[in-house]
This record gives sequence, structure tokens and C-alpha cells, in this order.
Amino acid sequence: MRVQRHCVIDADRDTVWKTVSNPDCYPEFMASLERWEHVTEGEANKGARYTVHWKIGSVPIGGVVEVSEFDPAHDLAWIGVSGVSLRGRFRIRDNGDGRTKVVFRLAYESAGNLLGLIADRVAARQVGRNMTETLKNLKKTVET
Amino acid sequence: MAGISDVLDWTKHQVASRVPKADLDQRDPDYIREQLPGLWLLASLYFRADVRGLDRIPRDGPVLLVGNHSGGNLPPDTFVFTLAFCSYFGVERPFYQLAHNLVVSMPGLGSLRKFGTVAANHDNAMLALESGAALLVYPGGDYEVFRPSWERHEVDFGGRKGYVKLAREAGVPIVPVASVGGQEAALFLDRGQWLAKLLMVDKLARLKSVPILLAPPWGLVVSDMVPRLPLPTKIAIEVQEPIGVDGDDDVVHKQVMESLQAGVDRLAAERRFPVIG
Repeated sequence: MRVQRHCVIDADRDTVWKTVSNPDCYPEFMASLERWEHVTEGEANKGARYTVHWKIGSVPIGGVVEVSEFDPAHDLAWIGVSGVSLRGRFRIRDNGDGRTKVVFRLAYESAGNLLGLIADRVAARQVGRNMTETLKNLKKTVET
Repeated sequence: MAGISDVLDWTKHQVASRVPKADLDQRDPDYIREQLPGLWLLASLYFRADVRGLDRIPRDGPVLLVGNHSGGNLPPDTFVFTLAFCSYFGVERPFYQLAHNLVVSMPGLGSLRKFGTVAANHDNAMLALESGAALLVYPGGDYEVFRPSWERHEVDFGGRKGYVKLAREAGVPIVPVASVGGQEAALFLDRGQWLAKLLMVDKLARLKSVPILLAPPWGLVVSDMVPRLPLPTKIAIEVQEPIGVDGDDDVVHKQVMESLQAGVDRLAAERRFPVIG
């Protein structure tokens, strides 16, 4: 299941990147975050790992994720290495008017064949709402 | 000629021999992973479950999770908590649950062993804790799980406190797990302890209760052995701060009971209507 949301932030790409690339900012702007912990030490970079759980439905869903792309002011992507199969990405692009367009993508796939497919689809609405809320929070954090 | 006591002994032996020996290796993380989406759908859509405080469970090492038990032979709180634990810590973290002999030996419920369910006795519990696993126990067992629905917000282990001795021997903390909602999955009328004695199943199958309840689709049900449709009651679970086993058994037991009752009272105060929540 792939869910995508986007927003335009009134700031340049470097300013947006400062927030998106700072793991300490995630509890502030990531909506429905139930658990956020550093697994590896050091600054965020490719290979860094974090435990992340979002409250989806009745319980926290997530697992350990690893940063798979760390391209400053451009792309930040991660993959799930435990828990639910997961890929995520923040795409940061010039909007052409001094503002920045941020695209937030999440692709996930539960185990469990047919019930997994149904669960993914049922969860998609809440995941989408959380992503919209996350982008609103990000915009607010960066613009203030 | 065989007397009544011989027949009883033979029956008791037959029942006991059908209880599978605990084999912790039967727990299958891949099987659990594949069942989680189905459990998530049931917990999120049907029981509208809400689980809080999982961060209070120690992140690794053995721990004894002690809960109040509700819902009869189809306890929604057990599978909701199992789903929450496996989602939060990952299916890789060893996690076992103690269940009544009858549950683990019942035909068709063999898959529970893949979830880590083992027969409730001291040896199996020690085996699980010594292996470094988290262990979920419901000391109230069949006594508490069949209490009348109007006592649904009362934590009552029926005086059982062997879990404190277990935690002390294993050197692990106790984490109380309070839940509400399960006892509204049917209308439980009576524990039926008198019926258990009358039928002698208390001696034959360690069954202290033969409950009487009203539940769809059957209406009046005796014994809760026939599959029924649980009402879509809202389940709320609160994991509480760990309790160290330092003092006397009675003191620790009192501390656990007070903590659980306070949690149940908090969760119950948030409910506006039965079943709906």
C-alpha cells in the first residue's frame, strides 16, 4: 500500500532540511508518534537506525527503520528492518517561488495474505490522515 | 469390579495426559507475524481497543506480566494484549502466555501454542522466565474470568498469589496489566462453582467454574464450551509501572492488587455505556 501527501512550505530547502534531517525534531512534528528511539549512536546519516511506532488503530505499529538515502536538502528515505515492511521518503524540491515543496511517501505491506491486504487498506485512511497532520506540523515548525 | 473412585482416577489421568508438555520451541514468530493483521482488524474495528503504557514494560529480559482476566473462554483482552506486545516489541521478543489446561488441550486450539501459550503451572512458568522471556499470567484464571458481569470492574484473584512466589524465584519484576471491557462480551450470570462441584469437574479437570451466561447466538449458555459470538465491547488496557518483589508475599500481592484496581477504576471511569464504551 502506498500513501502520499505533499505540502508547500514558505522557506528554502536548506531550512526545511534542517528540521527533516534532525531526529530530535521528529517527536515534535511526526503525528501519532508513540515511540521514537535512537538505535544507533551519532548524527543522522545513511545507515542510522531508529525505532519508530505510530498509533494506528488499536496498537502501535512500526519497528526499526534504517536511513537508506541521506541526500542533503533533497531526499531522506528509510526502510523498515523489523516489524511491518515499510519504506518512507521525504522529497524536498524547489517550488520556484522561494518556497519548498515537500512530498511525504509511505509504502507498507503487512504479512498475512488476504487479511494483510485488507488491514493495509483499512489502515490507509488513518495513515493518510497522520501524514497530512505531519506535514502541517512540519510546515508550522519550519515557518515559525 | 471398578469403584467410582477408580473411574474418577482413570478420567483424571485421561484429562491430564491430554495436556501437552510445554515446549517453548513451539512458539513460531513467523506464524505470529502472519496472524497480526487479522488480530489488528479484529482489535481495531470490532473491539475498538486502546492499549496504553507499553513503554513501561522493561525493554528486554524476563518479566512477569500480571493481568486481571475477563471475557470467559473467549477473552478479548488476552489477544488484544498479545497483539500490542508483539507489535511494540516485535515478534522476535520471546513472549509466552499461561492458559488453563483445558484451553491448551482443546481440539482446534493447537495453534495457540504457536503464539506461545503453555499450560498454566509453576514449572512451565519458570521454564519461560528462565529462558529470558516475558510471561503473561492471569492469576484469577477461571475464577475471575467467569465473574458476574455486574462485578466486571472488580479485580478478584480469588486469593491466588502464587505469581509473587514465581516472580521472586525467577528474580523478575511484576508488571500489572489492567483491562476493562472483556466482561461485557457476554452477560455472565453466575460462576457456577456449585455446578463444577456437582459435576466433579473441579477434581477431574481442575475446572473450578461451570459458568452460566447469556450470549448470542445461543441465549442461555452453560459452561461456555460452545463457540459463541462475543459482543463488540470496547477493550481498554493500561500497562502499569513495574513492581519489584522485595517484601513479603502478602505485601507485594496487596501492592499489585491495588495497582490493578486503581487502573481498572481509571479505565472504567472513562466508559459512558456498557459494551459501547
